[in-house]
Amino acid sequence: MADLKLKGITIVETFAEAFPMVGTRIIITAPTYEWAEISARTMTGFATSVIGCGAEAGIEGRLARKETPDGRPGVAVLLFTMDAGKLQTQLRNRVGQCVLTSPGSACFSGLEGEKKLKLGASLRFFGDGWQVSKVLGGKRYWRIPVMDGEFLCEDKVGLTKKAVGGGNLLVLGKSHGAVLAACTRAVKAMAEVPGVITPFPGGIVRSGSKVGSKYKGQIASTNDAYCPSLKGAVKSDLPLNIEAVLEIVIDGLTADAISQAMNAGIHAIARGGSREGVTHITAGNYGGNLGPHHFHLKEIVG
Amino acid sequence: MTALTFELKHTPDQRLDLSPLVPAKLAGLNRKEIEALEIGTTRQKLTVGAAFKLKGKDANALHFVGTDDRCDKIGAGLSGGEIHVEGDAGAYLGAGMKSGKITVRGSAGVLAGASMAGGHIAVSRNVGDQACGVAVGDTTGMKGGFVTIGGHAGALLGERMRRGLVVVGGKAGDYAGGRMIAGTLLLRRGAGRYAGYGNRRGSLIFMEKPRDILPTFSDCGVMEFDYLRLLEQWLRGQGMSVRLGARARRLMGDMAVLGKGEMLILA
Repeated sequence: MADLKLKGITIVETFAEAFPMVGTRIIITAPTYEWAEISARTMTGFATSVIGCGAEAGIEGRLARKETPDGRPGVAVLLFTMDAGKLQTQLRNRVGQCVLTSPGSACFSGLEGEKKLKLGASLRFFGDGWQVSKVLGGKRYWRIPVMDGEFLCEDKVGLTKKAVGGGNLLVLGKSHGAVLAACTRAVKAMAEVPGVITPFPGGIVRSGSKVGSKYKGQIASTNDAYCPSLKGAVKSDLPLNIEAVLEIVIDGLTADAISQAMNAGIHAIARGGSREGVTHITAGNYGGNLGPHHFHLKEIVG
Repeated sequence: MTALTFELKHTPDQRLDLSPLVPAKLAGLNRKEIEALEIGTTRQKLTVGAAFKLKGKDANALHFVGTDDRCDKIGAGLSGGEIHVEGDAGAYLGAGMKSGKITVRGSAGVLAGASMAGGHIAVSRNVGDQACGVAVGDTTGMKGGFVTIGGHAGALLGERMRRGLVVVGGKAGDYAGGRMIAGTLLLRRGAGRYAGYGNRRGSLIFMEKPRDILPTFSDCGVMEFDYLRLLEQWLRGQGMSVRLGARARRLMGDMAVLGKGEMLILA
């Protein structure tokens, strides 16, 4: 197998296997960037994986005053689930509990889509009859009275069924420090790519999983083939000198956005070269039979 | 293709009903057929050809040149396309229109934009009474769309209006927003007496403190409204530079009716 090398780091000839998801984008504005981000972080907290959190969510990026509908500092948030019904529930609960409650916040649609989700259309009932509907340029907004004035919220937000979840990179290295530093760089580079989020803590996951378990009822369990401490005991995918493996999972509004993010990530990791201690960049898949989206590392780096 | 232009030959001796001259009704007609359309309002027969000189071909963009305040119903029932009026317009300008855009370089008469449901009307100078109000035979006023008036508006602006946005650059007359159901009036230079009389859910935004406020409007004090920021940004997107800020005094009313409407007086 002729593996590609980038600054001495082996790019394994494999692919990331990803799945279709439904996704949406909302814009949160506030009196300052700090408060828009607090609101967005709260809303996207506990949203690393659909398996246990019901949704995958993250901050896509900051928006300047001139990019937001009300001219205040803003943050764009992406939210993904496996179907539109769950996305609606997650959106209502998360915006209702974390954005509506956040001081000075307002919430707008960030995506035009063929199908719509209710945003203010369901949160307006918090207004107990005092809510005010305003239509501007064909879009409806709700003004909901709250204790610091009014919560302004757009009625509907678009959704896309072309979203993709589970794009990933696995980074192998000779020390935990080296792998963590490289992955941190990669997440930062990916954050510049529009239309993607990395939902795990700081964008990085250390507990990659395999499907199934020896225990009944446990649907996912540790990916033993990539656990350095089990190299001698299981059919390991790791060379003996590997001390740590970290994974970056990427969700995107389009498959193209994921390709771009993976490209940015791989190059950011490779910037340190093999001297930093990273040895391999690979990706997770299930043999290619489960997910329709295959992101081949060689083509992405290409 | 150049815009289909109707140039008024001379002051007509009767009021004109120009409602047949909208893109949807002119589509597919040749010059002769257009010239044969009747626009008179008396027993004296009057055709387009007798009153106007025609130029151009594009029936999707109409120009009226030299019109005066007897040219009624320009763009009434418009459902797409653009109409530009180089002159004044009579009564019922854009009444009942659904979409499209009408611009008037002069003034318009009574009932401009009455019961319109969508689209955009921009009048450079003044409009008469009952602008954006109730068209005869209808039950509600303006139901949607966007109207900008550069000058003053007459009495009963936005009467029984239900949805939409009206921006008045000058002063509005008495009873602005009278019996308003919902929708928004942005009044840059205030209004006459009895503004918001019988207002149910509508918003009257005053950039200058109005002289008279009905006693049936209850003061809620001054606070920030992000809605005003949104409105300012949206208007900027429409090419209209209006500085609204966010702070305003809110008065709710008319408490003599539903009382869920408001006056926002910029602070």
